[in-house]
Amino acid sequence: MTPPAPLPSARVALFPADAADPAEPWGYASSGAAYDEFVDPLGQLRPGWSETVRELERLGPDGLGRRWARGLAELEENGVTYNVYGDPRGMHRPWALDPLPLVLGADEWAGIEAGAKQRARLLDAILDDLYGPRDLLASGDLPASLAFAHPGYLRPCCGWTPAGGRRLLLTAMDLARSPDGRWWVLADRTQAPSGAGYCLENRLVVSRRLPDAFRAARIERLARFFDTLLRSVRAVCPRGEAARIVLLTPGPYNETYFEHAYMARYLGVTLAEGADLTVRHGGVYLKTLGGLEPVDAVLRRLDDDYCDPLELRGESAIGVPGLVRAARSGRVVLANALGAGVVESPAWSPFLPGLCRRVLGQELRLPSIATWWCGQPDAFAHVRDHLTDLVIKPAMPGRADAQPIFGDQLSQDQRDELLTRIAEHPEAYLAQESVDLSTAPCWNGRSLDRRHLILRIFVAAAPDGGYTVLPGGLTRVSSSPESRVTSMQRGGGSKDTWVRSEGPVAPFSLLRSADGDQAVARGADLPSRVADNLYWLGRYVDRAEAVVRLLRAIAARLSDDAPGWGQSPEALPDLMSALHAVAPGPEKGENDADDPWTLAEAVLQQRVFDPGQAGSLAGITGNAYGLASRVRDRISTDTWRIISQLESTFEHARQGGDTADAVALLDRVVLTLAAFAGLNHESMTRNQGWRFLDLGRRIERVLGLSRVLRAVLALGEARAAAGLEAVLEVADSTMTYRDRYQAAAAASGVLDLLVFDESNPRSIAFNLVQIEAHLTALPGSDRPGARAEDHRLSIGMLAAVRLADPSVLSRADGPRGERKSLDVFLDGLIAQAPALSDALTRRFLSHTQSPRTLGVEQALDTPDDLADAAPDDVAHDADGGAP
Amino acid sequence: MTRYRVRHRTTYRYTGPVDLGQHQVFLRPRDTPGQTTHRFDLRIDPAPEAIDAHTDDFGNHGARFTLDRPHQALIVDAHSEVSVHPAPTPMLSVSPAWEDVAEYARRDRSPDGLTALAMAFDSRLTARRPALAEYARQSFTERRPVLEAADELNRRIFAEFAYDPTATTVSTPVDRVFAQRRGVCQDFAHVMIAMLRSLGLPARYVSGYLRSAAPTAESDPQATLPDTPANPNDALVGADASHAWVSLRAAALGADLGWVDFDPTNNRIPGDTHVTVAWGRDYADVAPVKGVIVGGGAHHLDVAVRVEPAGIMNDGY
Repeated sequence: MTPPAPLPSARVALFPADAADPAEPWGYASSGAAYDEFVDPLGQLRPGWSETVRELERLGPDGLGRRWARGLAELEENGVTYNVYGDPRGMHRPWALDPLPLVLGADEWAGIEAGAKQRARLLDAILDDLYGPRDLLASGDLPASLAFAHPGYLRPCCGWTPAGGRRLLLTAMDLARSPDGRWWVLADRTQAPSGAGYCLENRLVVSRRLPDAFRAARIERLARFFDTLLRSVRAVCPRGEAARIVLLTPGPYNETYFEHAYMARYLGVTLAEGADLTVRHGGVYLKTLGGLEPVDAVLRRLDDDYCDPLELRGESAIGVPGLVRAARSGRVVLANALGAGVVESPAWSPFLPGLCRRVLGQELRLPSIATWWCGQPDAFAHVRDHLTDLVIKPAMPGRADAQPIFGDQLSQDQRDELLTRIAEHPEAYLAQESVDLSTAPCWNGRSLDRRHLILRIFVAAAPDGGYTVLPGGLTRVSSSPESRVTSMQRGGGSKDTWVRSEGPVAPFSLLRSADGDQAVARGADLPSRVADNLYWLGRYVDRAEAVVRLLRAIAARLSDDAPGWGQSPEALPDLMSALHAVAPGPEKGENDADDPWTLAEAVLQQRVFDPGQAGSLAGITGNAYGLASRVRDRISTDTWRIISQLESTFEHARQGGDTADAVALLDRVVLTLAAFAGLNHESMTRNQGWRFLDLGRRIERVLGLSRVLRAVLALGEARAAAGLEAVLEVADSTMTYRDRYQAAAAASGVLDLLVFDESNPRSIAFNLVQIEAHLTALPGSDRPGARAEDHRLSIGMLAAVRLADPSVLSRADGPRGERKSLDVFLDGLIAQAPALSDALTRRFLSHTQSPRTLGVEQALDTPDDLADAAPDDVAHDADGGAP
Repeated sequence: MTRYRVRHRTTYRYTGPVDLGQHQVFLRPRDTPGQTTHRFDLRIDPAPEAIDAHTDDFGNHGARFTLDRPHQALIVDAHSEVSVHPAPTPMLSVSPAWEDVAEYARRDRSPDGLTALAMAFDSRLTARRPALAEYARQSFTERRPVLEAADELNRRIFAEFAYDPTATTVSTPVDRVFAQRRGVCQDFAHVMIAMLRSLGLPARYVSGYLRSAAPTAESDPQATLPDTPANPNDALVGADASHAWVSLRAAALGADLGWVDFDPTNNRIPGDTHVTVAWGRDYADVAPVKGVIVGGGAHHLDVAVRVEPAGIMNDGY
């Protein structure tokens, strides 16, 4: 690479009239040192940007500001996030996106495209050799010590060829542009490249904000690339078009989990965690409600090492035991092949130009930036002598620091210390030329800032044996003009990447190939884990509703306003015990006042404003949010928005407020919950997933209602009108009651409406009827002779309700005027509902438990007993109520 | 030459039913210039649908199997019959200088050389360290013959490290074994391997067996090792366990003595008392029996090994 030629600093003004004014809000200056993507050294706009600039000019800073505010809101509502490791508040960090795209011309792109295809072919050839004959090591074309020292060189993957013979089905390359305008490869991403899904989301949001520019500039579409990828994967699957493809994710704690869920939904494939898959009879199977379903291909987002705890990393809890064996047998296609990660190391790059000539008979078109691998004595000597001009990076995972070290930022002592460390494990380090990354304008909310950028491009295998390149990519920008690091983990941002087309752009939608059949098939292959999460999502949402309604009833009795009909403060103690029964909170402290008003104030504060307390709404909605985030690919965007709104409402409520604030907030939340129920009812396909969500709601409601009725009607102190009215209010049945009975509340009427009335959605009987219907519709429930335990329990509960005598239950037959018969009756339901839940879990959801590694024999001279790692199976809160 | 009958029985007992167990074993002794396997028989209870035998990238004979019916115990019972006919131990003092061996290891791209180079770097359970190199350098003095130096290192580890089965587990890192100077044969092998590699020498981990002590009246092998798997609750009296040692490649330009074994646990160069099963970069490559299970609760592992001379051989007995 040539040394940077100094360039004159250039300034561009988008409003020519104000160009002379340095305070002009659009003012944008190139640095002079780096290549600028936007303006040339003479201050002229580079070709390709005119349509974009025209739209920006038309909008003006204020217009762009307003428009982009909507763009950012859309990103947040869509839940586009990026998880930052090691930062407790970093989970679900909003995705940082800039409204201005990076625009690349058709000619320039053609060069990148050809180079990327050639490079993918070369890397695949290297992998073929490393995992096959190793001729390139014997000939010395590649350094054998780099392969053997690299922990990503997986010996269990040597000596066999994966199904279809291709190891790289999707690969990515990070490119940087040097001051002379040429593109160089900084790194290859070959095992499980991330970013393609973020490209799609970026495109969606940015093209909607700059629609005129997007149309006028004739930008290449992205969808065809993904269609090609899917067709290539199917082409190497034995079952071809009928192949079942899953996207394997490490789970919601992974930094790019959003993207995994997004891609699964976009591609129309099943999102699976390791525990959703199992290897039987040499093949991979998806655990679904209906049983094991064969899987033909796995698009993996798990790093090589973690994929199989049996043959690879034993401690991996997120892999699929036996996956290597299944891949070896050719029964399953992995994209990319296991072991592909070894060529990610930039340490190979010094050898690529020669290898490209030898293997492909061509010059390398897209070279890497100058790299020295310290495992070679000559290269290490060069690094020693030129450390201040170089960036030190790990040549392989594990040994060296993961972060790049800039030689010019070190003191002499630090440099000596670094060289000593390298000398201990030279093969673990490499040095790269420090490159002046090109710059581009970014919107800072008022004007344009200069940022350094790296472009990640994506290459997919094409079914004809060649490759195709995504026309676009993920542009990542630094967090400040000075920073040379463009890491999403370290606060950088992203841009959409626009590749201009020479001719008209052909529209293409992935929906055309993912036809209706596929959508219908999705209900049948519901992974058990997803059903489990949907079930608990239903339970937590309903529990949140019960708590919100109870708190609202409590708050209404505390406010100074004239209480509404029947909102007598006498019911406060009963409502408090009902609340405690539905979602136990902290025990009453010794210093707590006995006066029910003061106590109720305190409880209201805790539950609404203190997320740390047991039974707080923040806790319950947080659980719902966590579960929803694990089934992002199964719930609608609107449903997700509701859950995410709920969670943030209570997260923000931590600043506190008074009773009036609490009432206003609870009123709002009741409406949000109603919207959830409405969507659930109106917008969800009646598939198995919906059934489990609804089962969760119904079972929780039976449990909650039984608990409230027991606390107030059976055991409560105010067994008179005040308590009855409060119960009606909590069960949202006040109007119905008044309409039907035209009288003050009486126990028999309340029980009739809330226990026995099969037409009232708020009654126990109604919900039991629904539960029974769901259980009848679940797989394996169609044999009357052999009803499953959960089904029998639900029939029993419904029968108990139908057979109960309302007049007996409404009788105050206890010594202190409590309703003993009602207590026994409700107690039975309260015991059976969790038993029903457990039985359901056993029948459908129990094989969600994770595999674990056995203790092994230690080689030693006396027999030894190395029993027992504790089981790491995780379960949701054991039932019986207390979360 | 000595012919052995080897019996290696591994028993897992679980407190709950295991719904799915996937296992990989390395139990079949290798065929080497110094060893011939005449018979190998792997019995598994409960019987799997199939046993998938394979040869790994290091040439070891492995087997994989899956158990997908609920079971509460697993017995892996390996029977083999092996002749051991070791080559005479080379003259330690006429081996090439260790620096030349290290230098040659970096450059030799022959098939043997590449095989050896794979044994020269860090592995999952061993890592090169300056402190380990320093310890080894007391024996690896300038231009010293590599086998003489290795023999002395073998002796020093034997003398300075205490055999203590309570000090370590299978996953104790080499650094800790080195710091506390205690462990079992697996640890000593890992420590010595890490030391040799810290000097740039290719060294591999050998998994195998040591000839059992002569049976006494109370431990008649016929009584303790019946042909059908015994009740898993019966402990085997006088049973041994797997053994592990080190192999070093002593090759320099024009002087290739091949791989030479060292047993730091017993301070000797293995001869006809050692049966080689498998080798790799470390224990993780060649664990005799390992597995991943679903369900099962807590588990208990019991291992019994017996290595007995098989009868009169043609070497004069």
